[in-house]
Amino acid sequence: MAQAAVETERVVDSVMRGRLRVLLITLAVGIPLVAWTLTQMSLLSFFTQILNGLSFGALLFFLAAGFTMIFGLLRIANLAHGGFYLMGGYIGVVTTAKTGSLWLGLLAGGFAIAILGLFTERVLLRRIRGLEKPEVLLTIGMTFVIGDASLWLWGGDPRVVDKPSYLKGAIQIGDSFFYPKYRLFVLAFAILLALVLFYIDRRTKVGAIVRAGVDDRETVAALGINIKAVFTAAFMFGAFIAGMSGVIGAGFLVLLPGQDFEILLFALVVVIIGGLGSLEGAALGAIVVGLIDSFAKALVPELSFFTLFAPMALILMVRPNGLLGKAL
Amino acid sequence: MSWIQMLPLTKRVQLGLLAIVVPIALLLPLVADNFIIRLLTLALVSALFAMSVDLMAGYAGLVTLGHAGVLGTAMYGVGYVAAKTDGGIPLQVLVGFVAGMTAAAIFGLMAMRSTGVYFIMITIAQGMIVWGLASLLVDITGAENGLLGIRRPVSVETDFRYYYVVLAVVAVCSALLFVIVRSPFGYALKGLRGSETRVRMLGHNSAFLKFYMFVVSGFFATIAGILLVYLNEFVSPTDAILGASALPVLMTILGGIGTLVGPFIGAFVIVFLRNWVSIKVDRWPTLMGLIFILVVLFAREGLVGAISKWWNRRLERLGSDTGSLTERPEKRDLAEAVTSD
Repeated sequence: MAQAAVETERVVDSVMRGRLRVLLITLAVGIPLVAWTLTQMSLLSFFTQILNGLSFGALLFFLAAGFTMIFGLLRIANLAHGGFYLMGGYIGVVTTAKTGSLWLGLLAGGFAIAILGLFTERVLLRRIRGLEKPEVLLTIGMTFVIGDASLWLWGGDPRVVDKPSYLKGAIQIGDSFFYPKYRLFVLAFAILLALVLFYIDRRTKVGAIVRAGVDDRETVAALGINIKAVFTAAFMFGAFIAGMSGVIGAGFLVLLPGQDFEILLFALVVVIIGGLGSLEGAALGAIVVGLIDSFAKALVPELSFFTLFAPMALILMVRPNGLLGKAL
Repeated sequence: MSWIQMLPLTKRVQLGLLAIVVPIALLLPLVADNFIIRLLTLALVSALFAMSVDLMAGYAGLVTLGHAGVLGTAMYGVGYVAAKTDGGIPLQVLVGFVAGMTAAAIFGLMAMRSTGVYFIMITIAQGMIVWGLASLLVDITGAENGLLGIRRPVSVETDFRYYYVVLAVVAVCSALLFVIVRSPFGYALKGLRGSETRVRMLGHNSAFLKFYMFVVSGFFATIAGILLVYLNEFVSPTDAILGASALPVLMTILGGIGTLVGPFIGAFVIVFLRNWVSIKVDRWPTLMGLIFILVVLFAREGLVGAISKWWNRRLERLGSDTGSLTERPEKRDLAEAVTSD
């Protein structure tokens, strides 16, 4: 018993030390970077970029949360996530245009993709359960089909969602600071969703089952919980958020064919940086990537992809499982 | 009894097939029109690229969905010198080669400590970042307009002559790969597929092994990139997009993963299928996705797997009179396993 306690202490200790190291590296890189950035732009545009980064990070959090949840439970890297985003976005845009309600659009996009997720999980993925690489390759096949179907159904023109009047325009803070209302709405929505998700994850029975399932699927199944149903529900939920985030994204990024790949890239970088399988990792990665992308687009626009690549490469060399990831 | 009869039946059949394929490859362009010759050249280049992917995906069990990043970087290396400077062919090839190998080495450093799904995700990000940089660095890559002004050497200007250049290079590379997968390095890679822990236990540094794998595979992808850019005489971000990275993986699993013949067969099937479909409807991505899904669900062994199953069953039926089955007892086991179903 005592030995086990010592062992636990040692593990906890090494985890804490790992996190401390990450924190120190972040500060060592971050402080000079912020100082340099401040010499390049005014304080006002600095804050604008912070908000831009956080609201884009909010969108990335939606995507990464669903992705990481599916991965944590089913051990599937759902490469169709970008496709889910794009198709959900189109469905939401069309629904909003028909009904005039953004909320109905959000629900329509989410539910339609949840049903697509149900089909993907029940009919396709279940046949090859546990075969890691075939599962991934199947989802990449899905991406091509979904992307092409979206192009066929909705054409190649850029689409945006109709915003309700109370989310149009900019809000004024102080004398000279204006910021789009919609982006603040996205940010607030993400914070709300994050709180709900963290609450469910930590305080409810559903969250306990999900966390237990991430750690040890067999034992959960042996305890009489229908793990297959949990898998399906998790996949549908992940797909739901992906579809809904497509509608949200259509409010400040345009929907375009090929954007599915770009969104997938961002989602992957978020979970690679943050670490797979944990909600905190998704949140941290989303904020980091959102901020990096927003500042890079303002300061060095031609290099904005490289600015994603470099931190990812660095983090992978120091921590192959991401900032907060567990060893797989 | 000649030396041919000394060989086991399976080897004899393989030699026979080679004896049929080689003359066809050499003589077909004499009767085919220019369009078909271009398609054949493209299929050969794709086969080389798919083999380089198969070295990782099939032999080492590490699927890459970003290898078009290496191929594309090599293409841009050639294209940049050709379009933006007055460097001759040797300089173009040199820069393309160095660019491709550098990309492969950087990719390798990034991914060498990861495995499984994480590895796939990292390679996707790598490939897509090359695509992203290609779309944004207007001064170097010309963004969406791509790089024009790439010309083949005068002596192999025609598609007909260029076919033979590609055929020769691909033949040499295939022979090299044939040797590589049978070398200790090749067996160490297969070990990675089986169990990385055991490879480490045997004293290999698995991270370095993966790095070498990237370099060796990147070498062939780079060669494929150089051949491809002179075939198309054009390069654009599309050459490094996710679809371009997924295509060789599809060719590999369709043909037969973990074999060198598989990517070849897969490449020819896909290149000609794509061309045939594109004439009729403009829905290639859907078809590509559907083939992915169907192959993954129902035919993970690929065409080579299906053919060798059939062949084993046939051998079983021929019985012991050929005497060749004793050569490979495990084959008989496989055949029995199949027939007893």
